[in-house]
Amino acid sequence: MYKWFALKRVLKGIFTYAIIILIVSALFNTVNEQTTKSNIEDQIRAESMRLKNMQASQVQRFQQQRREELYRLYRLDRPLFERILFRTWNVLTLNFGKSTVLKSSRGDREVLAIVGEALPRSMLLFTVAAAIQIFVGIILGLKKAQKPGAPLDRTTSLITMIVYGMPTFWLAMILIMFFVYQLKIFPSAGMHSVPPPEGIMYYLDLLWHMALPLLTLLLIGFWGISFVVRNIVLSILQEDYIMAARARGIPENKVLFGHTLRTAAPPLLTISILSLLGSISGAIIFEGIFSWPGLGNLYWIAVQQNDIPVLMGDLAITVGLYQLGLIVLDLTYGFMDPRIKVGGKA
Amino acid sequence: MNFADIKYRLNEFWSEFKKERSGLIGLAILVIAILVVIFEPAILPWKEANRKWRSIDYWQDNSANAPPAWTNAFTKLKAPVTERIETFTREETELDGGVKLETYTFEYHYKADKAPLDVIFHVTGNGDIPVAISIERPDGEIIDIAQRFEQGLAGQDIRISTDNEARESVFSFVKNHESEQALEMMSGKSLRPADIIFNTAGPGMVNAFSPLKGTYKLIANIMILDPENTKVEDPYIVVTGSVSGILGTDDAKRDLFSGLVAGLKWALLIGLLTSAISVLIGVMYGIISAYFGGKVDSVMQFIYQIVNSMPVLPVLIVISAIFKPNIFMLIGVMVAFFWTGSVMTVRSMAFQIKEETYIEAARALGAKKSRIIFKHMVPILIPYSFASMALSVPSAIVYESSVSLLGLGDATIVTWGQILHDAMSGAAILKGIWWWILPPGLLIAIMGMTFAFIGFSMDKILHPKLKTR
Repeated sequence: MYKWFALKRVLKGIFTYAIIILIVSALFNTVNEQTTKSNIEDQIRAESMRLKNMQASQVQRFQQQRREELYRLYRLDRPLFERILFRTWNVLTLNFGKSTVLKSSRGDREVLAIVGEALPRSMLLFTVAAAIQIFVGIILGLKKAQKPGAPLDRTTSLITMIVYGMPTFWLAMILIMFFVYQLKIFPSAGMHSVPPPEGIMYYLDLLWHMALPLLTLLLIGFWGISFVVRNIVLSILQEDYIMAARARGIPENKVLFGHTLRTAAPPLLTISILSLLGSISGAIIFEGIFSWPGLGNLYWIAVQQNDIPVLMGDLAITVGLYQLGLIVLDLTYGFMDPRIKVGGKA
Repeated sequence: MNFADIKYRLNEFWSEFKKERSGLIGLAILVIAILVVIFEPAILPWKEANRKWRSIDYWQDNSANAPPAWTNAFTKLKAPVTERIETFTREETELDGGVKLETYTFEYHYKADKAPLDVIFHVTGNGDIPVAISIERPDGEIIDIAQRFEQGLAGQDIRISTDNEARESVFSFVKNHESEQALEMMSGKSLRPADIIFNTAGPGMVNAFSPLKGTYKLIANIMILDPENTKVEDPYIVVTGSVSGILGTDDAKRDLFSGLVAGLKWALLIGLLTSAISVLIGVMYGIISAYFGGKVDSVMQFIYQIVNSMPVLPVLIVISAIFKPNIFMLIGVMVAFFWTGSVMTVRSMAFQIKEETYIEAARALGAKKSRIIFKHMVPILIPYSFASMALSVPSAIVYESSVSLLGLGDATIVTWGQILHDAMSGAAILKGIWWWILPPGLLIAIMGMTFAFIGFSMDKILHPKLKTR
């Protein structure tokens, strides 16, 4: 049953996520608690400033009392293992606390607001890029597989290998230098002009700002996909039923897009989602080069400002996104390839 | 598996590999890279670039943001190249009272169209030393640059820069030649000494530069007051040009070519070490998981899936930001993520091998588990992991440079990512300093390409199904 398969997969995904967060919480426990403690000290200092007509000893007693209260509130007085579990639970319930330096565009200090603001921007850029990459990659891969060893196949395979280890952020730097400062046809950074224009112009402005980041991702992205597509399709094209279809006189394009693509769909879907996940895992840093205000740029800023809570929140959301992608991957895979869900032991 | 076996299999592999042209190209680049690492001391133009990459003193004689020397070939007005001149003629004259005068003469052949930025004299001294520097121009004029009396030296470096110290003497030189009008217009401070020293003397020399080409002599007169306790060693001059070296300099005056050469060994080390260790772990993990099966397999698969579902770079960034690891710790962290790469293929292959009759025979003969794993399974499966080993090298290099790009790299070494980080924070993109940005990234890309060439070729040989038929 697909229903049970899906439920099992989702629960397993949540469980995996919880364990990852537990590991992360344990790993960064010390630095997290340091930040909490210094936050508490700040709060106590601010509170005692407001006190009036009190003697020094009274102030001290008040501070001591407040400190104990707050430590109890944040469970800093509990044993280590419980503190870690408490923190894990906080992260799982999206309770990231307050940032130390950074603020959201509305001036909010809630980490969730800051990260939540960045999330859709990253999603926008990377999903659009991935969609175009996958489209171009599949078309190119099919063409390559149709005539393996032909000039098109060989040259594109060569380019695939050439761009294999090319850092996206470096290509971004080069393209900015050329297109922004030499030709002056694209804006250097950001997502909108300041102030952002209204109406339809708002979207055109967004598109204009998005063009260069997209171009960068595209230039590197689709080669790898087309190479994998070629290998998948190539092995399918050697199957007997393809030969039979060709022998029946079915037009080549129909064989390619009908028969071959249907069989190749599950693995193609896998690499599509994996390439999207790959950009979360690998290309995210390149946002900083374009000052694209997404999750990756948030890493840059949080590292520079040494804002630990934001760094942690960003990490939790990125890991969650990645986990979600993996779940979606398995669910659609099971949907498209009946053998998987029947096996049940995914 | 003995030596002859290995040799035979290597030969077999090599005869296949020879047919892959891209693989051979990759191998050739790799060999060149390894040779560069071995002969690094001979290749480095700045010998101590490794240790003193972040020292300010070491690079102070260079010019900042200077383009590569070969850019002169594309410009109409040739810029002078930064030169270090260590050949000199030495004369000694005895003066009264046991005092010696040592005269060092350096020759600089000036052929460029633009003036150099600075002429700097260096000498290492011991004791009390008066030094006087002057420059003799091709037209016979002599300009006194500076006089110094250094006391109580113990092997320190004396550095006399024309740009800092010759302003007054250059001003008086201008007074002798320039017209009254022009002199009234200017003040001594606005002169750049090198612009005057290398200029044709005459009216209008303050405002226009027309190079006086020829041989300039820098004469350093050093008095040895007390020959027993006073000594000078290693005098040399540096003529700082506005272009420099093979790949120019950055804004901290560092020679970029030296930095890139010094970074090569780290790139190779990071890439090879990370991939080798992680693939070995992955192979062992896969074999053990498959061999023992059952509960062990389930637990190991679960751990594998957890690690596999963590995004590498974000976790790497946060770990680097918080723990500030050195390069070997960073490699360790990367290994902790990279080992999953080869587990699944190895596991499924090991499941098949496990059922082979010779394994059963070995077991029947009473072979221990470790013997079966290491003698019969590992040698067969290791070669298959070589391709994934080669293919995971580029990502290790790129991940390290990404972390360095954020400024979280190991500050005791030079890596390409760190050079890119410096370029980012030095606004090289904005200023269009392409020689600072282009080469490091290009090298990362070439390293990636090299290992992709090798890896894909190996993949083709080891998995013949992918061959084009």
